[in-house]
Amino acid sequence: MSELIRLENISKSFEDTNVLNNINLTINENEFVTLLGPSGCGKTTTLRIIGGFVQPDSGRVYFDGKDITDLPPNKRNVNTVFQNYALFPHMTVGENIAFGLRVSGKPEQYIKDKIKYALNLVNLNGFENRRIDRMSGGQQQRIAMARAIVNEPRVLLLDEPLGALDLKLRQEMQYELVRLKNELGITFIYVTHDQEEALTMSDTVVVMNNGLIQQMGTPEEIYNEPENAFVADFIGDSNILSGRMVRDKLVNINGVDFPCIDGSDNGFLPGREVDVVIRPEDIDIVPPGQGILNGTIISKLFIGVHYEMLVKSETGSGFEWLLQNYDSYDVGEKIGMYVKPENIQIMHKPKSEAEQAIELDL
Amino acid sequence: MKLGKRWSAPFIIMIIAGTVIPICSIVYYGFTSRKGGFTLSNITAMAEPEHLEALGLALLLALISTLVCLILAFPMAMILRESKYGKQGFMVFVFILPMWMNFLLRTMAWQVLLERNGVINSVLGAIGLPKQQLMNTPGAVVLGMVYDFLPFMILPIYNVVSKIDNHLIEAAYDLGADKAYVYRKVIIPLSVPGIVSGITMVFIPGLTTFVISNMLGGGKINLIGNIIEQEFTVNSNWYLGSGLSLVMMIFIIISMLLLAKFDKTGESSFI
Ligand SMILES: Nc1ncnc2c1ncn2[C@@H]1O[C@H](COP(=O)(O)OP(=O)(O)O)[C@@H](O)[C@H]1O
Ligand SMILES: [Mg+2]
Repeated sequence: MSELIRLENISKSFEDTNVLNNINLTINENEFVTLLGPSGCGKTTTLRIIGGFVQPDSGRVYFDGKDITDLPPNKRNVNTVFQNYALFPHMTVGENIAFGLRVSGKPEQYIKDKIKYALNLVNLNGFENRRIDRMSGGQQQRIAMARAIVNEPRVLLLDEPLGALDLKLRQEMQYELVRLKNELGITFIYVTHDQEEALTMSDTVVVMNNGLIQQMGTPEEIYNEPENAFVADFIGDSNILSGRMVRDKLVNINGVDFPCIDGSDNGFLPGREVDVVIRPEDIDIVPPGQGILNGTIISKLFIGVHYEMLVKSETGSGFEWLLQNYDSYDVGEKIGMYVKPENIQIMHKPKSEAEQAIELDL
Repeated sequence: MKLGKRWSAPFIIMIIAGTVIPICSIVYYGFTSRKGGFTLSNITAMAEPEHLEALGLALLLALISTLVCLILAFPMAMILRESKYGKQGFMVFVFILPMWMNFLLRTMAWQVLLERNGVINSVLGAIGLPKQQLMNTPGAVVLGMVYDFLPFMILPIYNVVSKIDNHLIEAAYDLGADKAYVYRKVIIPLSVPGIVSGITMVFIPGLTTFVISNMLGGGKINLIGNIIEQEFTVNSNWYLGSGLSLVMMIFIIISMLLLAKFDKTGESSFI
């Protein structure tokens, strides 16, 4: 896979607030990249910088090796599916889809064929002459996709395109989007605050917070090996605790020693304060006394395939662990808990702001 | 329902007193001859050359004024739309400030400026240019109409363009359009409702004005409005005045219907 878009040291402030801090990001050809983060973390701004609607205060944007930072949006080979779809209300479905083709002066027959092709691709055959305001949210979303892809852009930018749809439709559209991407063979840059959506669809997930990239990797990497407590907390349910390295491959959490697989090899020196993430499905239930620690079940919830339980530990500060298990246990029951060493994810504590500042200066 | 009816009573009385009774009396006088008895001659009087000429001139000047207003108002509305939030209110205020001054005072101000020995000619004289005949020309009347009616064009257009979702404009750029194309295919078509009401609000008072043509035309510019006014006042011929008014009313209704039709179909076929 070859590089298609590169953001280099991008920073942006609106008035006095720093929205993006020195963003560096490389996106490859034919990749499905998702920018994931809580609302207000700068995802849309990043997308708009790629689309050309926002000028960065500093840093450069490269497309196919060429610097496009100063190129206006209408000169960029990218198309956007806007968050609110932004379909032209005074045009029919067909006229909306044809807009980009008419701009570039394509022959009418070509435009006609292309509209047909695009409507077929988004499962809206025969809707050419409908009015936009007669279409449902899901249909408008598809029309917005069709309007973008008929121009055969190298990159499609999508800003929370499923945000306004109901759950069932959203799940359907997730499959459709992946299918479309594979069929078209182009790069998708997708923005969402929904971690499930990001994990389901993406080749690469970029987790952002406060205008900084927190972690970038495959969905598996992001889920299984979060680099810090923010990522762990944002992606899925987890138990996030403070710990201290006792020695290599042993970490003390709330006064209990847990065997783990990290140590000074990865920079976790003995005595170091660390964050620890344990996923609720990674805690095995064993008879009391046979695990690493004991606890009492204080609540239980059946959530479909499995049960979700809160377990108050006997030792330490009485931390309440979140557990998921296929078997049902009664509230009040005493259990033992065991976690395999490889399921204990050890992370560096977030740097203080002073430390961060020093790093940026370097 | 009952409550609604009770509350609407004053308005119904006002509509009857302010609209129905005057229209009925105009219709009555319009079809009545001076000696009493039914006649169509007050209506057909519009075809007399003197009246036709006044109507033609009124149409021409109103059209020109409307066009000038439109050409001035659209860019102004766009400037208002693009001005920073917070500043917007102030800008609108500046644009409509003249509306708060009395209409007659505003027109009188132009008299002072345009007179033979007025401000403009003094300035021209001071820089060694010959005096110009500015007052009592069709140009002066158009100027007065544009000045008086411009806010009525700006406000409805601003109202519409300020509501155009910025994402639509961004989407058009995103699809490769340049500025001219965005205006032609997105901004102007979406502004049609505002343009249509602006045209209505300038063209109709322009067509029937007599005050502006009296004050800036000095009796030399005779519009259909002046003729009707003179029938009612100088000649005390309410019958002819009413007949001509009726014709004008029908004229205005037809042009409004045409505009309304354009408003509906125009959006997609504009340009
Ligand atoms: N045009 C703008 N003017 C001022 N502030 C803005 C503008 N656009 C975005 N912001 C601010 O920048 C921050 C990040 O916004 P955005 O990139 O839209 O976040 P996200 O898409 O991740 O929710 C927000 O605090 C938002 O209020
Ligand atoms: Mg956003």
